[in-house]
Amino acid sequence: MTALAGITVIDVSGSISTSYCAKLFADYGATVINLEPSRGFKTRAEPPFTQTGGDGENSALHAYLSTNKQSVVLDKLTPAQLSTLLQQADLVLDDTNPIIDPPASLSRMTISWYGTTGPMADFTGTDAQMYAMNGMLRMIGEPNAAPYIPTGYQAQMVAGATAFIGAMGHILSRELGNAEGAVQLETSILESVMCFTDVGAISAHNTGIEASRLGVNRFPPTYPLGVFPCKDGWLGVTVLTPSQWHAFCDLLDLQELADIPLFQSSAGRLEALDIIEPRFTEQLLKHSAEDLFYRGQKARIPLARVPTMEELFMVDQFVKRDAFCNADLGHTKLTVPSTPFRLHATPPTFGGPVATLGKHTEAYIDG
Amino acid sequence: MDNRALQGIRVIDLSMGWAGPLAARHLADMGAQVIKVESCERFDWWRSWEATPEWIEDDGAEKSVAFNMVNRNKKNLTLDLENPHGRALLLDLVKEANVVVENYSGAVLPKLGLSYEVFKAVNPKIILLSMPAFGADGPWAEFRAYGSTVEQSSGLPHLNGTENDLPTMHHVAYGDAMGGITGGAALLVALRHQARTGEGQFVDLSQVEGLFPLGIHGILAQSAQGHPPERNGNRHGGIAPHGVYPCQGDDDWIVIQVFTEAQWSALKQKSGLTFGDLNDRLAHTDELDEALAAWTRPQESGALMRELQELSIPAAATYKTSQLLNHEQLTARQFWQWRERAFVGKQPNPSAPYRAGTAPLQIDTPAPTLGEHNHDVLNGILQLSEKKIAELEAEGIVGTKPRMPSK
Repeated sequence: MTALAGITVIDVSGSISTSYCAKLFADYGATVINLEPSRGFKTRAEPPFTQTGGDGENSALHAYLSTNKQSVVLDKLTPAQLSTLLQQADLVLDDTNPIIDPPASLSRMTISWYGTTGPMADFTGTDAQMYAMNGMLRMIGEPNAAPYIPTGYQAQMVAGATAFIGAMGHILSRELGNAEGAVQLETSILESVMCFTDVGAISAHNTGIEASRLGVNRFPPTYPLGVFPCKDGWLGVTVLTPSQWHAFCDLLDLQELADIPLFQSSAGRLEALDIIEPRFTEQLLKHSAEDLFYRGQKARIPLARVPTMEELFMVDQFVKRDAFCNADLGHTKLTVPSTPFRLHATPPTFGGPVATLGKHTEAYIDG
Repeated sequence: MDNRALQGIRVIDLSMGWAGPLAARHLADMGAQVIKVESCERFDWWRSWEATPEWIEDDGAEKSVAFNMVNRNKKNLTLDLENPHGRALLLDLVKEANVVVENYSGAVLPKLGLSYEVFKAVNPKIILLSMPAFGADGPWAEFRAYGSTVEQSSGLPHLNGTENDLPTMHHVAYGDAMGGITGGAALLVALRHQARTGEGQFVDLSQVEGLFPLGIHGILAQSAQGHPPERNGNRHGGIAPHGVYPCQGDDDWIVIQVFTEAQWSALKQKSGLTFGDLNDRLAHTDELDEALAAWTRPQESGALMRELQELSIPAAATYKTSQLLNHEQLTARQFWQWRERAFVGKQPNPSAPYRAGTAPLQIDTPAPTLGEHNHDVLNGILQLSEKKIAELEAEGIVGTKPRMPSK
């Protein structure tokens, strides 16, 4: 038995956020139907593209988001067939530009950039804007240059997962008998990414201290923290507690720095970074990142290997855990991340087939 | 759906820091009874990782903004889990619970003589969410990590900044908040199965794997095309202008991204810039960015954002964290809920990022103080007598004040 068997979700927008939200339902066994326009959801036209397959069937992003979902083309359905299809839904997912306006009798989760109310409700949104608005963007980069935009679709993915929580909470509340009837739910992408900076905002309120951009990978109150080159590969360093600092000094043969009173706190080390950083970066270059990572973790220092995209699929931990799986587009198989949480008694489906546009339409015409 | 949606669900929250407590907070916000369990010596490290006797004397444990932010709507019980009586009381609580959440590094729970099997023996329907950084199995299962370690391990830093930068992190503990969201999602799936079948289970969450979806553009480029995306800083290979441009004032900026020719036409008319179609703009990106920056520099970022948005041009001012409590959109949507909290006074709390209707889920209670609900839980749920509770206090198994670790 799968955990979400018996739940039907219909995505009537096909945004990245609604698609990721729906993907989590599909991974755990819910029936998820992409109700697509005749040209297909816009994710079908999003790069990167596979080297095989025609237009609309070659988007790697769409493939990742769409495993184990059904694809139905709206224009092929009569109003009666559409009505029958919609009646099956426990939840409809949409953004502010849905392909249909679902009946009010259905529970609906709307995911929008800024929320459906407020003075910015009609603003045009992008992932970069979300990070500009939540205060995070201006902290990334060098102090005397423009701050950096976090790349990709990060805000939309965060919101998709966040909306899943709200939607599942609603479905569960009905099944527990704590609620009944249809509800209009919503998730604002901006409010979703506030999870990264709400602590900073409240801290600023209490202390009056504004977080400033100190440079790439420099962010108080922790030091040393960052990604540093080694003889080969990259090492992620986070040294927070006095015991971690001592172990870090031992690891790099820098015992003479270990007991200096100022260096026992993160703030003190940050104050003295001009002294500390040249010393340890020089030592890092003498060792391989792999070697330091394993020795450091043995000494209880939270060090990290920082894999490139090319290395990511070969990291032993990720291989051992099947952290990546295959999305099957028919014409090719694509390596994609597996479901990010695993229920042991009711495991998710890792990977799976990606429906071509309209593949399941006939089933709903035939009833 | 409201803040009673999960009424009847009980969660024992053993987690510390950001990710685990945030996962449990999602359930608390929807009405589950979440009992956070700490000990007076092994208290949540997010209260402080550099505790001193002076900090304890000054009630520092109650003044952590971070701790208070992720633990609202919960109850707080202190139990020394290294003491057999404390451990036994925890198991008594587990008997009456739906969920246990933990995010210790892999070695800690076994050291306490606790595991999913132990919890299951006292309560077959229990769900245990375990959320170590790298997952519950594999060669790194017991490795230590913070949110920064999680981000580093996900490869995400290789996707930001330029080729000339070090792999560039996000300057917040990125893995933590995402781990909390993923954990909240996992719990609801497991609870749904439990509600239908009465069956509990072990839930294994690798926080690193929870970050892969955020680096999906890099992962898919590698997978589909055999190479990662170029690290272009703020530029985009197929879009121009696309960047962060200076505005009037100290370190004020505006993000402008022009995706369509209609947007460019509007910006061209507004700014007076003379560049042509996309091909022309991509061929002259340096000049375009320079000219656009010259136009934005004397302007106030918020006003310019609104003017550009009026024209449907994607633009956003880069807000400072100190501006977020007065952010016009967040304020209009009642995102910040102010609640009185002992030791720190009236404090802002971020609303749950999902809502039913137009109003946010109401926050019932601020973060509890250490051991605030000892009596409620020990007497009210576990039916211990006043005398027994007094004995536990005398033995230091429960308490309301942190102590420096004795070992």
